Formats: sequence, C-alpha cells, structure tokens
Amino acid sequence: MKKGISLLLALAATAVVAASAQAKHEAVGTASKAVSCSSTLKIGFVTPLTGGAGFLGQEQMSWAQYAVKSLAKGLGLKIQIVPGDTPVEQGATPAQDLAQKFVGDPSVVAILGPSTSGAVAASTQTYFQAGMAHLSPSATRTDLTKTVAGVKEGTPAFFRDVPGDYIQGPSDANFMIKNLKVKKVVIMDFQEPYSLGLASAVDTTLKAAGVTTIRLSAPNTTTDYSAFVTKVPSDADIVFFPTQKPADAQTFAQQLLEQGKKAKVFGGDGSDDSTQFKVPGSYVSNFAPDITGIAADKAIVAGWQKANPGKTVGSFGPPSYGATQILMNAIKLTCKADKGVIKSRRDILRNVKKVTIKNWILGGTFKWSTKSNDPLNAKFYIFQIQGDGSYKLVG
Amino acid sequence: MDTFIQLTVDALTLGSVYALIALGYTLVYGVLKLLNFAHGDVFMVGSFIGYGVLQLLGGAASPNVPVWLLLILITLAAMAGCAVLGVVIERFAYRPLRDAPRIAPLISALGVSFFLANSMQLLFSATPRSYNTFEIGNGELYFKGFDIGNVRVPLLRIITIVSAIVLMIALYILVNKTRTGKAMRATSYDREAAAMMGIDIDKVIRFTFILGSALAGAAGVLFAIRVPTTVAIGFVAGLKGFTAAVIGGIGSIPGAMVGGLILGCAESYTQGYISTKWSDLVVFSILVAFMIFRPQGLLGRADIRKV
Repeated sequence: MKKGISLLLALAATAVVAASAQAKHEAVGTASKAVSCSSTLKIGFVTPLTGGAGFLGQEQMSWAQYAVKSLAKGLGLKIQIVPGDTPVEQGATPAQDLAQKFVGDPSVVAILGPSTSGAVAASTQTYFQAGMAHLSPSATRTDLTKTVAGVKEGTPAFFRDVPGDYIQGPSDANFMIKNLKVKKVVIMDFQEPYSLGLASAVDTTLKAAGVTTIRLSAPNTTTDYSAFVTKVPSDADIVFFPTQKPADAQTFAQQLLEQGKKAKVFGGDGSDDSTQFKVPGSYVSNFAPDITGIAADKAIVAGWQKANPGKTVGSFGPPSYGATQILMNAIKLTCKADKGVIKSRRDILRNVKKVTIKNWILGGTFKWSTKSNDPLNAKFYIFQIQGDGSYKLVG
Repeated sequence: MDTFIQLTVDALTLGSVYALIALGYTLVYGVLKLLNFAHGDVFMVGSFIGYGVLQLLGGAASPNVPVWLLLILITLAAMAGCAVLGVVIERFAYRPLRDAPRIAPLISALGVSFFLANSMQLLFSATPRSYNTFEIGNGELYFKGFDIGNVRVPLLRIITIVSAIVLMIALYILVNKTRTGKAMRATSYDREAAAMMGIDIDKVIRFTFILGSALAGAAGVLFAIRVPTTVAIGFVAGLKGFTAAVIGGIGSIPGAMVGGLILGCAESYTQGYISTKWSDLVVFSILVAFMIFRPQGLLGRADIRKV
C-alpha cells in the first residue's frame, strides 16, 4: 500500500513538473507585449563573435552598430543592438539558447542574423513561433528560403538581404567551367550545413557540364589538412573549399603548394578575408562587391572608418549595415501603423517585406523578391588573389 | 606507394605533436594521479607565446635574426612561458586540493581549462593567428627538403618531427638518468614512501609541471608553425593528446610517445584509405576500445589493488 501511495505521489509530482515546464516553454515561445516606440528598442544580433569565424561577426557587428549610430535618429528611433555569440565550432546549441533568450525578452523586437546557415536552421522555428522577424546578412544556404528536394528549413519569419547558394553555387561552378576551363575539381565540405549546401550546388552544376568531381569531407574541427591534400589528384584544376574559416583556406592552399599540387583553392563567401586568405592565384566568391568602389557609399565608408580606426572594409560588414537599415525601417513602419506602439512583434514581421531602400549600400535599389524572402536581382562576385594579397574582381 | 609515403609523413608530423602533448598528461598523471584537462590550453597558450615572440623578432617575412635562431628562440620562449604557467596552475589550482577526493582536482582542471581559453579570448580575441612561415625565404621551409620517391618531405615537417624526437630523447634521459628523474619515478611509484626517504614532494611535483608544460609549449609552436592557431585549439588538441596517452598507457613515458605516433597514423591512414569523414570517429573509437579492453594501455602497468 505504502509503495502504491509513493508511486502515485511520484507520478503526480512528475505531472506537475512536466506541466509547469510546458507552461514555461509556451510562455517563452509567445512572450510579446506592447512596447512604446519612444523607448529604447532592442535588436538581437546572432553571429559568431568568437572562434574561427569570429572575424565575420566582429565585422558585421561594427557595421550594424554604425547603421544604428548613423540612421536611427533620422528614423525617430532609439535602437540598441544586443550581441549574441554563436561560435561555429560549437554547432547548433548556442543559436538555440540565444533564440530562447531573445524570444523571452519582450524588449527585443527583431533579430539580425543568425549569420550562419547552421544557426538559422537551428533556431528559425523558435523565432517563427514567437512571430519574430530574423534577417540574416550572410546565411546563404538555399533551403533556408526555397524548397530543395522537398525540404525547406527556413520559416516565413526568416529573411536575408544577400543572395543564397542557389546563385553562389552555379555562379562559382560556371566561372570554373567557362573562365577556368576545368576538367577535374575536388569539392570539400566541413560536415556542417553551410558547406554541405554550397558544395552540393557546385557539384550539381559541374557534373551537368561533364566535369569530373571528387568529394572530400572534413570534420569542422580540422586544423591540419595534409591528409586531404594527399587525396587531391595531381591533375585536379581546382579545390572548391567552402569554409567559414579563411585561415583554413590559407592552410589548405599552402599545403597544396607544399605537396607540389597544381590545383588552386576556390573559396566561397566564408573565406573572403584578405588578411587571412592570401595565397596568390586562389579565388573567392562573395555576395557583396567592394563598396569602397561605389561612389554613393563614400560618406558611409568614411563614417565607418572614423568609428573603427585602423580597420579595413570587408565584404561581410556592408550587408549587415543594410540588414539593420531594413529592420529599422520595418520598425518605423510598424510604429507609424500602430500609432507609436509596437503591439506585437508580428507587426514588424509583416512589415519587413514592405521595405525598399533607395541608394542601397551594395549598389542600386534594394527590393525583395516576390517569390521568396530573398533580395531581388542580387548576384555573387568572384575575386582572384593577386601577388600582393589584394583581391581583384574577375567575375 | 606515393600515397602511403605521403600519409606516413603526415602521420609522423601529427603524431610528433600528439606525443609531446601526451607526455604532459602522462607525466602529471604519473606523479599526481591527476588528469590535467587544462593541458590542452597550456598547449594553446604556448602557440600564442611563440606567435608573440615571432612578431617581436620582426615576423616571418622579415625576421631580425637568422631563421634557425628564430625557430629556436620562439620554441624556447614558448617552453619557458608555459613552464611558468604550469607552476602557477599547480600552485593555485591543484596544490590546495592535493588531499581532497580525486574528483575535486579534476573539476579544478576543467575550470582552469575554461579560464585559460576565455582569458586568452578576452586578451587576444578569437582571430586566428598565423605564423606565416610560408613567407620565410619565399616559402623555402615548404619547398626545400628531400624526396622519397615522388614525395617531397619539406623542411618544415623535418623540423617538426626532429624537434619532437630530440625533446622526447632529452626527456627520457632526464627521467631515467638523472637524480631528479629518479625522484620523479620514486614519487610516481609511492608518494608517501618517497617523502619518507627525504624526497621533497612539492619540488618534484612542481618540476613535473614545469616539464610537462614546457613540452606542451614546444608542441604549441611545432603545431602553429604549420597551421594557424586560435584560442579554441586547446580543447581538441588536449583530447587527442589524452587519447594518445591512454593508448600508450597513461603514466608511461615511452607509452605516450608510442601512443602519439599510433594516433597520428590512425588519423592519417583513416583519412587517406577509408574516409576523410571518419577520422575522428576512428580515433575516438580507439580511445573507447582501449578504455574497455586494455585500460592500462600498450605500455602502462596494470593497476593491481590489494584486496
């Protein structure tokens, strides 16, 4: 009898704990209350601030901060960027934890990022359930905004202001076919969503053109690529290396030379960093041009350089400035429609696609595609590393 | 055949670094019966000290001293810096817990590991640091060397492997042929009896940390002259070093050397002949297999308990 009562009590306690946990989960999932537009509104920024891709997040953060500093006042807003770190080496967990944290904080009205495709895939459902717009300035995996083989990982609350790998993959592959006349290409991936998606996109286009491809896969924690270089055939023309750690692209290119292999490294947008990846003859692609060459951006570049002395303008920062600009405009539209109060984060979400930006930082006018949450008419740019380490636009 | 030779060169290069890290684990475990999980981060700090000294000496592209002296100086600086760090860690994180239950210093070691990784990140940021050895003499460390068949063994790899072997021989002589080494062995065998025989246990333990940490510092430089270092490398490198120590027999110095080389071979041949995807799976499966079927490792002694 005593045993029976104990069992009953244990079951009841378990039920109470489970019910309260469920209630807490639901509360976190839907936490949203009216926020005055005259108060300081927070935008979370989910990006790798540390780890091998830390350079990317630091650069993006500096441009987002600069966008707030230079644009918020003109829009009649007080905005604070709240950073959230997602080191690429730690997989999905930090992005999921941050999503719970930001969703649970009513003063956070929208999200910049997540910056990496893996982090988006890990957290987009949480943001979607909370009606929270999240706009990435760099997550390029195709199935975040489009259905691929029956799968679409992104939710309707996810947006990006850069083109996806559905453009980058074919662009890179077509450049290899038409400009480099490749016959054999080695394609690496790093067992994480960004590189897997991009590697597959390049592979498909190359195979369709009759190019021989060889796939190699390295754990994301790899630091020494000697054994991978050993597997690169001596007659391979290109090693496609879609890493998010430019220093690794540099290591791979050096180790190719060390073993006397003639293949050149071709990196994706994740390896576009002229301070770390600088073996001459290598290639990188990116969703953004060098904005220092755009006349209309002169004042923006000068202002950012003043705010960030000694730093150089990279390719990851400007789309981050643009994403911040889009979100602030969506917030302004919401404040106007809701008469000075943001009644719900869903109102901002609904307004994101209403935003167009004239004098877009990447050139021209920014408009959304009507078919997906992608930018309209965006393209990728291909650069070749020169003898002095500079990046020259070649495609 | 060329592929086999190339993979063997890769295996020896990797294995040399793993062996040096494993020696640190094994030395400390031998004397204190402590798994020093902060050791991987000492290795990371060593790679950063080497980087700092390299910059002070003018950088790889235009060093102020001859290349051979440059390499020796950065290695010695990393060894010295890590030795000091090892002493500090032992004094403040482990000594107060020497008589506590064995779980306490283990937790302390994990704490030190996180402390070191995060402090380094705050101080130096997450940006990878490259020694840029490719820029030394227009890549002469990469292009010069000797050939085995069609395979070039570059100077940089020769330097890595030979330096590790020299350090291991020096350690072997120190432990087996000197009075201090005899005291270390005695302390490892029975700490209380050694103390009763007049051996200064504190001094021996301190010296053990100096040795182990200095080897980690050297390993850090030998690693970072070939690939970029970051504040995050300590964790995986530490795990691999620990695995090598377990394979060889934790507490056994020759075992750590053998374990490191076996681990390097396992990783390299798996990547070369089985699948590049499976190398970590194979490496850590070996660790699990040794833990289950031969916990004393290849050259370690079985833990015999009086019942």
